[in-house]
Amino acid sequence: MKSWFRYQLPILFILGTSLGITYLLWRHEQHNIALDQEKSFDFNLREASSSIEQRMAAYEQVLRGAQGLYAASGEVTFSEFRTYIDTLQLGANYSGIQGVGVMPIVPDAQKEEHVARMRKQGFPNYAITPAGTRESYAPVIQLEPFIGRNLLALGHDPYGLPSRRKAMEQARDSGAPAITGKVTLVVETKDDVQPGFVMFLPMYQKGARADTIAARRANITGWVVAPFRMNNLMAGLYGRRALLAGIKIYDGVETTPENLLYDSLQNSKQSQTAYDAHAKATEYIEVGGRTWTLVIGSLPEFNALKGENSSRLIAIAGVGLSLLLTLLSWTLLSGRARAIALAQEMTRELRESEARFRHQAQHDTLTGLPNRALFNDRLEQALAQARRQQKHLALMFVDLDAFKPINDNLGHHVGDLLLKEVAIRMQQHVRASDTVARIGGDEFVVLLTSIEEAEDALALAEIIRRAISQPFETPDGKILNVSSSIGVAVYPENGMDETQLSRNADSAMYCAKQRGRNNVHACSALLQA
Amino acid sequence: MVYLFRIVYVTMKIQFFSLLIALFACSMATAQPAPGPDCTRPLTLALHDHGFLYSAQTDTGIDKDFADELIRRSGCKFVVSVMPRARIWQLIEAGALDFSLSGITSEARDKFAGFAWYFSNKYYLLVRKDAKVQQVTDFENNQKLILGVVRSFQYSENANRLLNTLKMERRVEYATRLEPLYEILKLNRIQAMVIEPFDYPQVEATSIRSLTTIIDLNDASVPHGLIMSKKSISLAEQEKWRALVNNMRADGTVLRIFEKYFNPELAKSLVNF
Repeated sequence: MKSWFRYQLPILFILGTSLGITYLLWRHEQHNIALDQEKSFDFNLREASSSIEQRMAAYEQVLRGAQGLYAASGEVTFSEFRTYIDTLQLGANYSGIQGVGVMPIVPDAQKEEHVARMRKQGFPNYAITPAGTRESYAPVIQLEPFIGRNLLALGHDPYGLPSRRKAMEQARDSGAPAITGKVTLVVETKDDVQPGFVMFLPMYQKGARADTIAARRANITGWVVAPFRMNNLMAGLYGRRALLAGIKIYDGVETTPENLLYDSLQNSKQSQTAYDAHAKATEYIEVGGRTWTLVIGSLPEFNALKGENSSRLIAIAGVGLSLLLTLLSWTLLSGRARAIALAQEMTRELRESEARFRHQAQHDTLTGLPNRALFNDRLEQALAQARRQQKHLALMFVDLDAFKPINDNLGHHVGDLLLKEVAIRMQQHVRASDTVARIGGDEFVVLLTSIEEAEDALALAEIIRRAISQPFETPDGKILNVSSSIGVAVYPENGMDETQLSRNADSAMYCAKQRGRNNVHACSALLQA
Repeated sequence: MVYLFRIVYVTMKIQFFSLLIALFACSMATAQPAPGPDCTRPLTLALHDHGFLYSAQTDTGIDKDFADELIRRSGCKFVVSVMPRARIWQLIEAGALDFSLSGITSEARDKFAGFAWYFSNKYYLLVRKDAKVQQVTDFENNQKLILGVVRSFQYSENANRLLNTLKMERRVEYATRLEPLYEILKLNRIQAMVIEPFDYPQVEATSIRSLTTIIDLNDASVPHGLIMSKKSISLAEQEKWRALVNNMRADGTVLRIFEKYFNPELAKSLVNF
């Protein structure tokens, strides 16, 4: 647990911190993109509304020019008005304005005279429309350029239509230009019908006061008028250049299809998606005393331009780098621990290997018993200890009787099994402090450390002899009987060192063989004092 | 001899008094008001459509009356036009327009415009009742609520702060004048707008009154005044115009103009600051 905390916690901390920084950067970038979009959008919106306002102010100025002509001259002839408008050169740049016209006020009493005069001036079919008797009329007597569809306006009296009359009265009372709501112009033909509006500017009697509403109402003589076709107006403003946003203009604040004056994406598949998009803004501008609602919606190109992908890139790169940094940190931090673990593993393997080799060097591979070298070592140590403590020890030489025929007749594998079983039986009867070793083909030795007297050794030798003489069963079910001859030598009586003891034990074993095998013989040679 | 002496004495006395009178006359002459503003060129002044300040529909309003009186007193030739407020500030900054009215200052505006104050008022938030807004922070915290403002309008500190915050969240809709804002407030497309006390009569007169409530923005009163373009009107000339405005305040003309449109208490509270 401690090492977990030591190595995992810092790594988790680094991962958390780097992911946290990535998140903050991503958020920052998102925020910047939103800001950019906001600024860009706001700029587009302001540019659009400002262009429209400026353009309408320019048109207003055109009407003021015509108004000024009347204010200066009082009476203006047909050709003078035409010359004036021609001089303005309202070309393609001002394509929205369909024409500039004049509408004098004609009281009902002067209607017939007015119509007669107009017919005399070269318009034989002149009549005031809509027909009917009204208190006064304000028919269009000229709409320059007086060609094409503009001729349709001749005699048209907007004052007789509520949709126009309101704007005309507003212009009259304020002295400023006023526009109608969305209308279909009388100059529209069947082709390319567009939404439109009409702008009016009042004309007052030359030299008369026009500084109060009452004075304006009293001294009005008519209006100068300009019909506008909305699509043409906007085309003159923006041309056909591709915008990254769609613009819709509504008359009034209600954004209903009935009020829609203009849609830059009209008949375009993108229309709906653009205005449903998140990046959408609305602005309410004032044109000739009316409110127009401008709605701007972004096109997919706009979002792409604003680099929505850059935040995604930051997120992906950030997460990737965080993981790499974490991996690197983990490698660095866990390096020592892994080195220590590796060293321990290698040490363990080395020790196991050493132990294995040591075991192999000191033990008999068949029975696992100590071999001669280890036995000699143990005998030497046991003798030294016995000398120090003045104790007895015994050395037994055990030789299997008639082992060779078994090996020869039944095969080495049976001989080997027999030797293993003998080793087991011998070990079963000695103490843990005693040593049983195999020193030759069928020769075993037993070292009994710390015995009280020689009889103890002889008794144990007898037990071992009996144990060995018990029948053996081979894997294929045969019963074998084998006996052993055991010679016993005791320290210090039969030898003071390992050589003497070994020789005497060996001699005793030979004595046992000579005495008919399968018995125990104690060494009879006593050391001379 | 005595008679002669007496004549000399009287003559000297007369001369002394004549001297005194001459000195007094001189001092009177130097105490004459400074010469008026420079009228060698026609000056331009723009009005903006803003409720009782100016209505283009009727060509009347406080700003119109104020402009008329200022023009009369200055004796200068003026070209007065009506345009959106945002355009006015652009032109004032560029020096293409000399004057406008009822302007408030800001750090940015101070760089290109001089002012001559003639009234002062606080700003308030006109909020729809169904927006359930008790204080300004309620409005700020409810992401669904939209504020309507006139493009380029600056307000008092807290109102500006609110506007800037909402701008970042795209919760602002702009108009060129107040009228469409009232309309869309009724339609619930915006839920609040910033108004000034002189907008009250307009609010009171319509159905908006029953729909809305007014929240104090807890700002100090903000002075409004004649805007002078620093690019086109020199500092010395600005002082002369400022003196004219101060005279109009001092002699009660400004108060009388305001009393034409508001009740005397409201007029007095706006003009006396």
